[in-house]
Amino acid sequence: MLNRLLFLFLSLIFSTSLLAGPQNHSRVIRLATTTSTENSGLLHYLLPLFEKESGYRVHVIAVGTGKALRMGRDGDVDVVLVHARSAERKFVAEGFGEHRFSVMYNDFVLVGPRDDPAGVRSAASADEAFRRLGEGKALFVSRGDDSGTNKKELALWKSAGVHPRGGWYREAGQGMGRVLQMASELGAYTLTDRGTWLAMKKGLDLRILHQGDPMLFNPYGIIAVNPERHPNVNHQGALALIRWFVGKEGQEKIAAFRKEGEQLFIPNAQPSELALLKP
Amino acid sequence: MTLWEATDHAMRLLLGGDESLWRIIGISFKVSGIAILMATPPAVLTAFALAWLRFPGRRLLISLFSTLLSVPAVVVGLTLYLLLSNQGPLGDWRLLFTQSAMVAGQVVLAFPILVAMGHAALQSVDQRAWETARTLGASFFKAFLLVLRESRFGLLAALLAAYGRIIAEVGASMMLGGNILDYTRNIPTAIALETSKGEFAQGIALGVVLLLLASTLNGLLHYVQGKGGVSTP
Amino acid sequence: MNEKFALEVEGLRYGPGDRNLFDSMNLRLESGRCVLLTGENGAGKTTLLRILAGLQKPREGRFRLEGGDFAAWKKMRRILQKRVLYLHQQPYMFDGTVEYNLRFALSRSTGRGAKEELVERALEWVGMSGFRRKYARSLSGGERQRVALARAWLASPTVMLLDEPTANLDAESRERTLRLLRQLRLQGMTLVLASHDPHHFTDLPDRILRLHQGRIFHAAPPPTQKEGSAAVIPLRQELA
Repeated sequence: MLNRLLFLFLSLIFSTSLLAGPQNHSRVIRLATTTSTENSGLLHYLLPLFEKESGYRVHVIAVGTGKALRMGRDGDVDVVLVHARSAERKFVAEGFGEHRFSVMYNDFVLVGPRDDPAGVRSAASADEAFRRLGEGKALFVSRGDDSGTNKKELALWKSAGVHPRGGWYREAGQGMGRVLQMASELGAYTLTDRGTWLAMKKGLDLRILHQGDPMLFNPYGIIAVNPERHPNVNHQGALALIRWFVGKEGQEKIAAFRKEGEQLFIPNAQPSELALLKP
Repeated sequence: MTLWEATDHAMRLLLGGDESLWRIIGISFKVSGIAILMATPPAVLTAFALAWLRFPGRRLLISLFSTLLSVPAVVVGLTLYLLLSNQGPLGDWRLLFTQSAMVAGQVVLAFPILVAMGHAALQSVDQRAWETARTLGASFFKAFLLVLRESRFGLLAALLAAYGRIIAEVGASMMLGGNILDYTRNIPTAIALETSKGEFAQGIALGVVLLLLASTLNGLLHYVQGKGGVSTP
Repeated sequence: MNEKFALEVEGLRYGPGDRNLFDSMNLRLESGRCVLLTGENGAGKTTLLRILAGLQKPREGRFRLEGGDFAAWKKMRRILQKRVLYLHQQPYMFDGTVEYNLRFALSRSTGRGAKEELVERALEWVGMSGFRRKYARSLSGGERQRVALARAWLASPTVMLLDEPTANLDAESRERTLRLLRQLRLQGMTLVLASHDPHHFTDLPDRILRLHQGRIFHAAPPPTQKEGSAAVIPLRQELA
């Protein structure tokens, strides 16, 4: 009788695990990317086009840049699409990624309350704007999550010679969208990528107070996880995705993507890199 | 967007049969349903063994399961993440960021609830129930089923409580599933994401579904526990 | 019943350490006879019955059931549980109707029609035909006792052990129960009744055993008077 019970139980587990069964790995590409990329709606627009053409399914895992690179390092994803130049360089140099391909860029903007208590609107450069923020001790919400935006923000503080510490500097540890909402609710400043800003500005009580400085340039790179490190990653899929992104169609579609009538991303694939992708 | 506008929009999404919304709901029910189906049989067997059999280490197991009850979902998520990660011991299974990984996390979360509440339910069954069944010539299995039947309301309450926990759980699902659209994005992770994006309408719509589900489960739980009260001799 | 003894025990000892309840007792239950086990509370009556029913493990003891001899207790226990019925002092009613309680005692191999007929007959026998759909736990003590007897009868054991079958019953229910027990004995059932208050059972037992501090203190000879006029209801053997 116990045998019967055991049999029942095992067949139940078996049948349900069939339901939950693993997908065909070679047709699934796991892409780790940043929340800002995902939240902008760009991938939602691009990936169905790629999936239809290639037959692959792309599973997007949207996290901060630090975490995305970490997943690539551990071989838990096949390809990463991030925007943190120096971390990307390190990732490739240490042999976790194959090669970094430029895909596109957008830029960061400094946003804050309309009345601009720190007076950054009239700053001539990003350095000066951040210096004024530090001097005015105006409330600033930082991502504080090791994301690309966070890394960029810290670099900007450093360049401005400000040590961001104290009650005016709040580390949220959250995604871009959430941080924008917090800044809006608190009447605080924050640094955001333009994509997320355009997607969300309608619901926010914030204004762009500084933009256009070359230091705020935000380039995206795409890197396949090195199959020599992790033989079980879907390297073929990763290459197919990269090829599409930096190829003619992907680049055109990136340029065509509009939010609220505005172009969010400027494609910038380098023709010299394309040679590396020839099958 | 005001709360009223968001709610209004949410209702229109729900009632209008917004496809992506219902797909998220479907994933939630599928994953949690499979998890509860997989967790229940071994949990009931464990609870039965703890309540009705005497073996060394029994007391230790009982206190272990009640400790596991209070382990936060994110800790379960993190532990399984480290196990299932490509760098972890089970990395070769390639389960991270799949529905199977979410199911595994929810099974681990549901199991101690099922065991602890199931144990309480089975233990409250009169010793004479088992003896009467056996002395009437019932096999071990038939007597086992009888004891389950005698405690069916308590067991059902355990099932509902466990299901209620896993379907609303966000930490482990987020970590193990990766919140992948149309694959591992379930109700709680979608709410977390949508609110972070400021898409309150979808967050509210999904919240309403969870709320309805929670109150249904709660109502059932009360009904079942009321029944259980009547049936004690 | 071609065996003379329905159940035999040799060298029965019970209890941990140097406790030695039953002091290597030998006990033989003759087929179709009724034994009354008496003695004050705490004399070991319930323990003895529960051991004989395979519900409690003795320290030592060799059992023979209808001639079958099993040395290993594990094996023996299964046989005892299957063939020897123990009725608790307060019978346990399963969470369901009277009918559910009765059907539980029938083995799966019994055909559907035969099941229906046996349940009906059992209910008639205990005079509870109208109670079939009643919730068993809502019944009075006397009614529960009768359902338990009907249920026991349906299980068709070799031996029935009844623990204080008339305790906690009013006079009328006690009479009814005794009448049912008499009928069981007339049907050839081997019975053991345990009671600290033996005077209710004057006409029933063939033999009286007195248990005192776990030892058989006194075995009374079977009484000469016997009642033989009770109506005999059809036996389930006829159905088989």
